[in-house]
Amino acid sequence: MASEALSVQVKPPGPFRAFWSAFSENRGAVLGLVVVVFVVVVALLAPLLAPHDPVEQFKGATRLPPFWKEGADPRFWLGTDAVGRDMLSRLMYGARVSLFIGLSVMLVSMVVGVAMGLAAAWFGGLVDVIIIRVMDLIMAIPSLVLAILIIAVIGPSLTNTIIAVTIVYLPRYVRLVRASALAELSRDYVTAAKVAGVGPFRLMTVTVLPNCLAPLIVQAALGVSDAILEAAGLGFLGLGAQPPMPEWGAMLADTRDLMLSHPWVMAFPGLCILVTVMAINLMGDGLRDALDPRLRKS
Amino acid sequence: MIRFLLKRLALTIPTFLALMFITFVMIRLVPGDPVEARRGERGISPERHAELLHEMGLDQPIWKQFLDYAGGILQGDFGTSIVSKTPVLHEFLTLFPATLELTLCAMLFASLLGIPAGVLAAARRGGIYDQTLMGVALTGYSMPIFWWGLILILVMSNTLGLTPVSGRVDLIKYYYQPVTGFALIDSLLSGQKGAFGDALHHLILPSIVLGTVPLAVIARMTRSAMLEVLEEDYVRTARAKGLSARRVIGLHALRNALIPVITSIGLQVGTLLAGAVLTETIFSWPGVGKWLIESIGRRDYPALQGGIMLIAACVIIVNLGVDLLYGLINPRIRHGK
Repeated sequence: MASEALSVQVKPPGPFRAFWSAFSENRGAVLGLVVVVFVVVVALLAPLLAPHDPVEQFKGATRLPPFWKEGADPRFWLGTDAVGRDMLSRLMYGARVSLFIGLSVMLVSMVVGVAMGLAAAWFGGLVDVIIIRVMDLIMAIPSLVLAILIIAVIGPSLTNTIIAVTIVYLPRYVRLVRASALAELSRDYVTAAKVAGVGPFRLMTVTVLPNCLAPLIVQAALGVSDAILEAAGLGFLGLGAQPPMPEWGAMLADTRDLMLSHPWVMAFPGLCILVTVMAINLMGDGLRDALDPRLRKS
Repeated sequence: MIRFLLKRLALTIPTFLALMFITFVMIRLVPGDPVEARRGERGISPERHAELLHEMGLDQPIWKQFLDYAGGILQGDFGTSIVSKTPVLHEFLTLFPATLELTLCAMLFASLLGIPAGVLAAARRGGIYDQTLMGVALTGYSMPIFWWGLILILVMSNTLGLTPVSGRVDLIKYYYQPVTGFALIDSLLSGQKGAFGDALHHLILPSIVLGTVPLAVIARMTRSAMLEVLEEDYVRTARAKGLSARRVIGLHALRNALIPVITSIGLQVGTLLAGAVLTETIFSWPGVGKWLIESIGRRDYPALQGGIMLIAACVIIVNLGVDLLYGLINPRIRHGK
């Protein structure tokens, strides 16, 4: 019996299987993933799912309460805002805006950050000093203040929010990639590749970069949630997406006067931000534990 | 130690220079000149336009403008606000104590709650308390604080009537001269009955809101630092000696676990000084953050330029102080590279 069991050849699990089994151990991370998938689906299908146009103002249907309250209108499940726009539709389209901001900030700052980090690590010397000094400077100015400065210069809009937040978050990626690339460059396999005649571009992107990926993926996941929060903050201050765009932060901006009489107008957008950001953070923590055991926070 | 100090100080000089350069360049990048931005609906004649440009020194070559700007800053002249016509430095210094008071109270709130919570979580690792605390910390960490502020105002102020909605002082009941600029101290100095309580009352909600994210960070950090220290040999020795768990955790382990935590608290003071922008806007707190946002709305670029320069300078100085303190506590940093 025992010998039979031993003779069975077990294939080592593939990298994805290995990752998934480590990731799915963490129940919080799986929960986060489920919520993230849900938000992504809602965002993608918003035009199909949303009962109304997010910017259409229904006259005579302003400040309607959500369905469980008295006086609710069955057409508007979550009620309407101060000018009669459907809350549910705005929240659904808001998911698009927020995810778009989060993902584009993450993508751009990661691509630019990886390029700069690899360049700093490969060239060293003056290039390295300049890149690192500039990144230090960006980090010395508090993120929100820097974002506000940039917005003050280029003007408030959705695109400019993305630009501002991208610049603010760039240093994280540059420093991370530079540090891991420097560590990898001293390894034997890199020397072997050099000896084999691999050119610098191929060496950095094909040989070195894949070995720096684990912390980068974790940083990217957490970067999405930070970007969403930062952009929502800018939106709240009136410096982000401009009305009537249904951005969650901007939706909160003008709710102060309504807060007492119609608290739901304020409650829903904030809840959406909180739940989305929390889900991404949960997922990010799970990714960190699964991908990079060194970073695991016991 | 002197060498370490000088080295760190020398490193901040290029940062300051670059900061000056960036604020200078960025403000110049704004489309239209400041005169155009302020001329209003009716517009002004080209002669008057040129006159105003000359008055502000904007007709000089750009390098001269930068040298003037940099030279002014070195002499403590951060420009003059277009709107209030007062020096930016003066305006900043009037408002800064309010922001500093709020920041310190928020940090106090976060540390006093976060450190014990983290220690307890580490001591009962994996238990219900630990899991709940980590869940709460994650929520706090993910919280959009502007929304959290509104919710707290709604619940605590409007529904329960426990705290004031906004501002620093109840102006109808109390008036006191700003001596130090800190409401808590000034209210005591004024000797008015109830003034101190009133000032404290106004501080509670903003401090909680501003302190929420640091609270989550500190709790998580204390927990993981504590868990790491608890694995070390000297802690096992202390346990083996028969010391009570309370003594081992509270005295032996905590002392070492606190080093990274204190650093992170220090570094967060810097971020909070600036992060107060959102909190001050929600609570109409008359600090530098709210002033900065209002300056954008008023297109008061000198105020914006000087204000950002000053806030960033404060953050750099605080971070430098933390660095030096860390070097003092931990010799490995001082002597290492």
